[in-house]
Amino acid sequence: MHRTCRVPLAAVALAAVALACSDGASRSAGPDPGGAPATELRGTVLDPPWEKPDVTLTDTDGRPFAFRTETEGFVTLLFFGYTHCPDVCPIHMANIAAVLGDLPYAVRERIRVVFVTTDPERDTPERMREWLDRFDRSFVGLRGSEPQVDAFQAALRLPSAVRQPSRPGPLPGAYAVGHAAQVLAFSADGRARVVYPFGTRQEDWAHDLPRLVEAHPWPVEPGPETAAR
Amino acid sequence: MVALLVAAYVHLARRSGGVPAGKVGAFAAGVACLWVALDWPVGALAAGYLASVHMVQFLLVALVAPPLLLLAVPDAAWERLAKRRALVRALEPATRPLVAAIVFNALVWLTHWPRLVDGLMGYQAGSFAIDMLWILAGLVFWWPVVARVPERQRFGYPLKIAYLIFATVANTGVFIYLTFTHLPVYATYELAPPIPWISAREDQQVAGLLMKMGGGVVLWTAIGALFVRWFQAEEG
Repeated sequence: MHRTCRVPLAAVALAAVALACSDGASRSAGPDPGGAPATELRGTVLDPPWEKPDVTLTDTDGRPFAFRTETEGFVTLLFFGYTHCPDVCPIHMANIAAVLGDLPYAVRERIRVVFVTTDPERDTPERMREWLDRFDRSFVGLRGSEPQVDAFQAALRLPSAVRQPSRPGPLPGAYAVGHAAQVLAFSADGRARVVYPFGTRQEDWAHDLPRLVEAHPWPVEPGPETAAR
Repeated sequence: MVALLVAAYVHLARRSGGVPAGKVGAFAAGVACLWVALDWPVGALAAGYLASVHMVQFLLVALVAPPLLLLAVPDAAWERLAKRRALVRALEPATRPLVAAIVFNALVWLTHWPRLVDGLMGYQAGSFAIDMLWILAGLVFWWPVVARVPERQRFGYPLKIAYLIFATVANTGVFIYLTFTHLPVYATYELAPPIPWISAREDQQVAGLLMKMGGGVVLWTAIGALFVRWFQAEEG
């Protein structure tokens, strides 16, 4: 009797020790992501960094949005997803929004969050706006044709989104979209520096976002001296 | 688990030559608590969606069900247990109030430790292990208050009341940790499909408040009941 009691207790104790010894957070150990020491970042550092694609899509106000120029000088978090997503998309958006809300205004105003829909059929501009506003009104929502969005993702080495066949259920016609689950972080110099997979937590964003911003101060307008050179 | 408990209780009742209705009621309430806590929807929500529901589950499994199950034990069964000297000697150190309080609070801390929760909650066996630890913790905690074996003459009503009052203070650490830690501490709930009306942070704060307030309601109800029985014993 005593022995049988001890076995599960010992197993639980061992599990606790094993968990305590493991490191749950992912750590990157790569090169300098544009100023921030890579070892200090919790995302996966891209080596070498990728160029920011020159793509123009349409924002939720129906205006053209040139991704490269509109986000120039900002740390930009780019995510491809869809508003009917049951888990990955709202979790990423909610966690980023929660942490942005904690950051000092001076840091926060230097970060742009851009959401590109992989489900333009259902994600109308109005629906995207309403969905993004649940998280943060400053989030940018973009739509484009399927080839445009596929090309955008291909330029960032991301797989194209795939529409999953609908299954019989209470919502006829409902379908899911398989899509890349990572957030790409571009530094203010316009390069994709860090990848944040699904599972990135608020503590990771709170840790990395100020470092990404601090690594790149606002681009300095060329003054008379620099212009003369 | 419920079927096993019922079967064990029926066996115990038969051996004891019948059980008063009050004890059967306590048993039914204890089993109902476990059932509600571990089955759908509470079990499902607690396993992977809401820390606050996980806390409700903890309250039901560790604080409400164990005293009801102990109260349901027939008198004859206690008497039989008291005659088994070796078992009573083994129970004696483990059920000392100070030991019980330490074991209970250590298990409460352990089973709310983020790395353990995140490590175990992803698996059915892990989740089951946490449930078992809670039941164990609850039985250990309530044993000195409810159980009649081993007999502790000096641990009368005043000390039982003091023991429970201490317990209302002892859970403050976990309450503070959950309520006032700014970022979500459990990946299980932070990375769960979101519930529209509550954020991961709010959910965690509600969990902390539930631990303090829900636990307080249970403990102060028990303190009140002990006080009444103490008063009746003095009067009678």
